[in-house]
Amino acid sequence: MNRRDFLGKAGLISGSLMIPSFLKATTFGKGLSTRGGKNLVIIQLSGGNDGLNTIIPFRNDIYYQNRPYLGIPKNEVLGLTDELGFNPAMQSLMDVFGNGEMSIVNSVGYPNPDRSHFRSMDIWHTASDSNEYLTSGWLGRYLDASCTNACLPYHALEMDDTLSLALKGAEKTGFAASEFSRLRKTTHHPFLKAIGDHGDHDHDHESVAYLYKTMVDTQSSADYLYEKSKTHKSSVTYPNNAFGKDLKQIAELMTSDADVKIYYVSLSGFDTHAGQKNTQGRLLKNYADGVAAFIKDLKQNGLFDDTLIMTFSEFGRRVKQNAGGGTDHGTANNLYLMGGQLRKPGFYNDAPDLMDLENGDLKYKIDFRRIYQNLLTDWLDADARTVLGQKFESLSLV
Amino acid sequence: MEHSRKIKHLYHRAGFGLTIAEEKRLKNKSITKAVEELFRDAGKPSAFSSNDKVDSYYADKTKRPGKSEKQEFKMQSRKLTALIGTDWVQRMALGDSPLLDRMMLFWHGHFACRTILAHLVKKQLNALEKNALGNFRDLLMAIAKDGSMIRYLNNQQNNKRTPNENFARELMELFTIGRGNYTEGDVKEAARAFTGWKSDFQGNFKFTKHQHDYGSKTFMGKTGNFDGTDIIDIILEKRETSEFIAGKVYRYFVNPKEDQGRVKEIAKVFYDSGYDIAKMMRHIFTADWFYDERNIGAKIKSPVELMAGLVKTLHLDVKNPQGILFFQKALGQTLFNPPNVAGWRGDRAWIDNSTLMMRLNLPTYILSSAQVNMRGKTELESSGRKKLFQKLQVTADLSAYQKEFGADSPKEMARQLSDFFLQAKTKNTALLTVKLPSSGADQTKTIIQRILSLPEYQMC
Repeated sequence: MNRRDFLGKAGLISGSLMIPSFLKATTFGKGLSTRGGKNLVIIQLSGGNDGLNTIIPFRNDIYYQNRPYLGIPKNEVLGLTDELGFNPAMQSLMDVFGNGEMSIVNSVGYPNPDRSHFRSMDIWHTASDSNEYLTSGWLGRYLDASCTNACLPYHALEMDDTLSLALKGAEKTGFAASEFSRLRKTTHHPFLKAIGDHGDHDHDHESVAYLYKTMVDTQSSADYLYEKSKTHKSSVTYPNNAFGKDLKQIAELMTSDADVKIYYVSLSGFDTHAGQKNTQGRLLKNYADGVAAFIKDLKQNGLFDDTLIMTFSEFGRRVKQNAGGGTDHGTANNLYLMGGQLRKPGFYNDAPDLMDLENGDLKYKIDFRRIYQNLLTDWLDADARTVLGQKFESLSLV
Repeated sequence: MEHSRKIKHLYHRAGFGLTIAEEKRLKNKSITKAVEELFRDAGKPSAFSSNDKVDSYYADKTKRPGKSEKQEFKMQSRKLTALIGTDWVQRMALGDSPLLDRMMLFWHGHFACRTILAHLVKKQLNALEKNALGNFRDLLMAIAKDGSMIRYLNNQQNNKRTPNENFARELMELFTIGRGNYTEGDVKEAARAFTGWKSDFQGNFKFTKHQHDYGSKTFMGKTGNFDGTDIIDIILEKRETSEFIAGKVYRYFVNPKEDQGRVKEIAKVFYDSGYDIAKMMRHIFTADWFYDERNIGAKIKSPVELMAGLVKTLHLDVKNPQGILFFQKALGQTLFNPPNVAGWRGDRAWIDNSTLMMRLNLPTYILSSAQVNMRGKTELESSGRKKLFQKLQVTADLSAYQKEFGADSPKEMARQLSDFFLQAKTKNTALLTVKLPSSGADQTKTIIQRILSLPEYQMC
């Protein structure tokens, strides 16, 4: 398959029809059951998290010169190495880093960065080049490529009521649900239950049959997730907020051996043009406390070695603070991986070079798709070339 | 096939469906007459009621507001944009020019553009209204000079010293000729031709001479001192452009599964007419093959089509416009806010577990005033936290159906109402009459609610 074929199939040529042979072309020896297998958890920090105030270059004068007000004072930084440290709000992740259970990749981005939230998020979700528009997401295309027949609808689960582009394939889609009891209620609507259980689901129009199938699948999935989420109740205390609750539900499903391979969860509010100190501090605390509780939970249940948590944001922020106590949209950013089986814990590469900026923004050193390449090949056992449409030099993170 | 079924098909594709009164009036009209009527009515749209509000808010604003007013300005702009969106859905449903609104919606998806500045939204919508059934070249020129599009695709930053290729690229890839019919070199040269095509704060087109590259360009094998207009003309000379547009029109108006032969046929009509959009559409709507059984009810309604259809057939009185906006968001089609410049993918891409359950439960929310309870995604630039949406304040008026069918037996009522509401036939009519309430009016309501909850109702 060449690049142009891929673009057609990935939905670049909008409205293009799917060619089933594309899906049949990739066959996998392995069954897709996740039991005892590996899990991937993606955490999206929406709005553009300020990476420079998350992983702080506390020995760098240029950092403090550019951020006289926003710079985190040396004595408050939680040191990780001689030059880099955590934002003080991330105390709860210190042990994770210390135990060699976290990899931090600096200067992650892509060529010709786009500073629009929507566009840049799109690029991360679809794994497209910056000047092309794909209508399917990378995890959705992973489902297209690997779920030829065996996947359950909730193989990739987003903890939300609507589904992100990342999980929409050309043919297959992920599953969205935030509260399983609420989802179950909508699927148990008496008439929908009646047509699901007793109706005729065949139709001359394939799309009608497809709708019936999706409906019935959703009904049984909702029951499954609801039951599974009740099987095991976590004994770990999570922060009392939506993000903590999402992670707790994920841990409970994982502990109950639910047949979910990929979990997707997001935390929003990172667009800190003004009043960044408090806002980002609060959000990073939610993030760190939530993830720390999640990891503790997974460890207690012997699941951490088979779990990989990737955290990303659509872009980082400008090096220079703005006049409103915040920062504006930037480009390259750091990305975090956590898990029990990392190949290169600690910092993967050098701190961002603050001397070498492009229009006041960090230059990217690592294309984010090299990380996708690594995850797809070495963690999900997928054919990354089919999913990404081109071959990227893999990073050896996992 | 029954003639009335053809008429309904026409009105579902060229408009947003029919009320029962309209169906009665039209069912014996010939296709030719019905099509003529649609075209005639497309010429006299009613004005959007939001226009005045938009005009008065932006009247005294000649440049981007300073820091202190920025938040307020953004919020007001967002509000007004949402208002135009709900206003438009209302017009699709209840206005007298359904074909025009249908074409505008198609072009809005084709020239997908995101903006929150309501005065620019209004301008672009006007441009679509003016050209939706006119000549494609005029439409293209209007879009190339449109304030929202110029901003959205960075032509504002396209100048001779540092050309920005974004608009030039999408012009070819998505708006006219499609991938594979131009080279990277063509993109570079076209970008040079569009340098200096800018827009002022009010959204007026402004040709900035000193930023325009007057040098010679070689584009698609031709060489000259081209500007943007020349580029557009060269692209339109290529038959591939008519084929690209015809393919998209076919998938949108006829069947998501493309028929190559028909697309070629449509493209020829389009090209030979000098890109007359009305001629192309007339050709489609009066063709026998348009009414083939395999085309009827074969397409999944877009969220906006679904909402407009419900407002129309249930005579909905919408008391909180945010409700309409919420469902646009939840179902994945917010007007003036497409996912990206490629627009909405359409058909099966509308469907995932969450949007389908929302669609199937929607009639219950509307007709039984049930609680919605759904957590929407927060906007990326928002500092707010996820909120639960709960109330959709609407009232439906079913009296026309109760009057028409109230005296029939439940089975007969179910048969007639299914015929009326569904484009894709259902095999599950028997389930519509199980355990009905006792009063005739309640029976009609229950049966309608069940029909609208069938997956078949999602088709048009």
